[in-house]
Amino acid sequence: MLQFLFLTFETFASYHSTLFVFSSLSHQKMTTLTRQDLNFGQVVADILCEFLEVAIHLILYVREVYPSGIFQKRKKYNVPVQMSCHPELNQYIHDTLHCVKPLIEKNDAEKVVVVIMDKEHHPVERFVFEISQPPLLSISSDTLLSHVEQLLRAVILKISVCDAVLENNPPGCTFTVLVHTREAATRNMEKVQVIKDFPWIVADEQEVHMQEPRLIPLKTMTSDIVKMQLYVEERAQKAS
Amino acid sequence: MDDLYLDNIDEFVNDQNKIVTYKWLSLTLGVHVNLAKQMLYHYLDQKRKEGSARLHATYLVSGKFVENGTTSHKVSVVREDQLEDAKSKMSLTVSVHVYSVQKAVLKDSGPLYSADYDAVKENLRNCSRYSAIRCADAVPRSSAEVQQACETTQAPPPETEQIKANHSNLASKPTSKQPKGIMGMFANKNVSKNQDSSKEIKLEQKEVTPVVETSKTKPAPKTNPVTNFFAKQAASKYFNNPISHTVGRTRYFPLDSKTKRLEHSDSEEEKNESRRKKRRRIKKPEPDSSDDEVIPDSPPQLQEKRDPSPSPEIQVKKEPVAVSHSDVSFHI
Repeated sequence: MLQFLFLTFETFASYHSTLFVFSSLSHQKMTTLTRQDLNFGQVVADILCEFLEVAIHLILYVREVYPSGIFQKRKKYNVPVQMSCHPELNQYIHDTLHCVKPLIEKNDAEKVVVVIMDKEHHPVERFVFEISQPPLLSISSDTLLSHVEQLLRAVILKISVCDAVLENNPPGCTFTVLVHTREAATRNMEKVQVIKDFPWIVADEQEVHMQEPRLIPLKTMTSDIVKMQLYVEERAQKAS
Repeated sequence: MDDLYLDNIDEFVNDQNKIVTYKWLSLTLGVHVNLAKQMLYHYLDQKRKEGSARLHATYLVSGKFVENGTTSHKVSVVREDQLEDAKSKMSLTVSVHVYSVQKAVLKDSGPLYSADYDAVKENLRNCSRYSAIRCADAVPRSSAEVQQACETTQAPPPETEQIKANHSNLASKPTSKQPKGIMGMFANKNVSKNQDSSKEIKLEQKEVTPVVETSKTKPAPKTNPVTNFFAKQAASKYFNNPISHTVGRTRYFPLDSKTKRLEHSDSEEEKNESRRKKRRRIKKPEPDSSDDEVIPDSPPQLQEKRDPSPSPEIQVKKEPVAVSHSDVSFHI
């Protein structure tokens, strides 16, 4: 049974945007690790959250949720990406992913969804990142990180050109982030407030399900440490 | 065989929704770049005649550009709707060709760089196999030479530090300036961001200059393929410029002079901006002049500049080449 989380927190804290640098992780030769090896789980969660942050910013830029004037070119995975300079927006995204990170560490997060909603708060598009981590992580090569970087780069590129397969959004859209978790993960979330004053609540059915969505696959990536699938659910008629 | 490539390109563009640049196409199909450019052109032509798919293209335009009385050679990548505009701005158009074909409308030049990043990186050792530019003297160094060059790199960091210190004044955005439009709303919070971004610029500079010390010709891939790739991209930029085909000119442009020109042009822009009234409306980002590759026509003193770490006085006097870090430049 899946449980849903929905973030509705409206007021933002002030924030200085961080400089994104793909942190080069240690190149120690590791063989087989199990999920219990939390250090590595943290590493994977770090990589994924960094990636999700870049992806969310890029989605906001490409889908014109916010005016392009607030975006700035930055470098990530050795390619230019667009990231917002708005401190409160950055804080919001950062805090969201900070809360998601522990779920990913324990492999409790099944999907992370970026929902774009129109003025009436009906979803028009849902960018779904399906994440799965293999229970047994076998890391055998030094080139693993550059391979993962290459795969993430490909996903970023696909997001940049997703305009071609999607209809234009109506003006005045907003966005939100949903996390679909496995089983009992949310019970722990409610007990422990990961970030002060940044509550998560159960999502509305309305925000979670779209009626008869068009499914557009964007990219699938498979690597030793994570499998990710990105697709978009699009509402048939967007203009209200 | 003749028309098979059209089907290939169709598959890449329509089915896979790829951005097909001429460089990527040439590496993928194993053909000369000029042939790849023609293929893209024919594909575009055919599809437009059929009226079937909505395709978008970008073009590489290069020609003579007059600005404030100085003529320079400008190379830029423009969207199709800006092509005529770009051509009309040039006093003489030297070359125009299709740069890429894709289904989506590109909002900025970032994806163009990502599109062939992997293909070029894979073919780093023989990236000029299908290229139209040749230099007989450009051969990879032996590993002994590379070792030696590495050792000499360790030596002049104090000199490069000094140069960077001089130019950090130009590079770091002065916090007293009033950023226009929507960025102005973040002015209070921009202080640390500017410091971060100026650190980023310095970081990139540091990346670039050590590689320049080691080699000006095509470097053999070493322990750090990333900075090597960066230098390679920058080096090949000279070779892509038809006007500096003469061997003497192309080899004597040290990389750090270019980055310094970049900083210099940025600071001039900023001074202009600070004079203008601060506006609160959201403005579309202005075309970044640092996106263009502008090469001024040969002042003779350029030929003398052979040493990789020039003293600051020479830097200020001469008119160095301006270059951007990315392989392509883009007008928005």
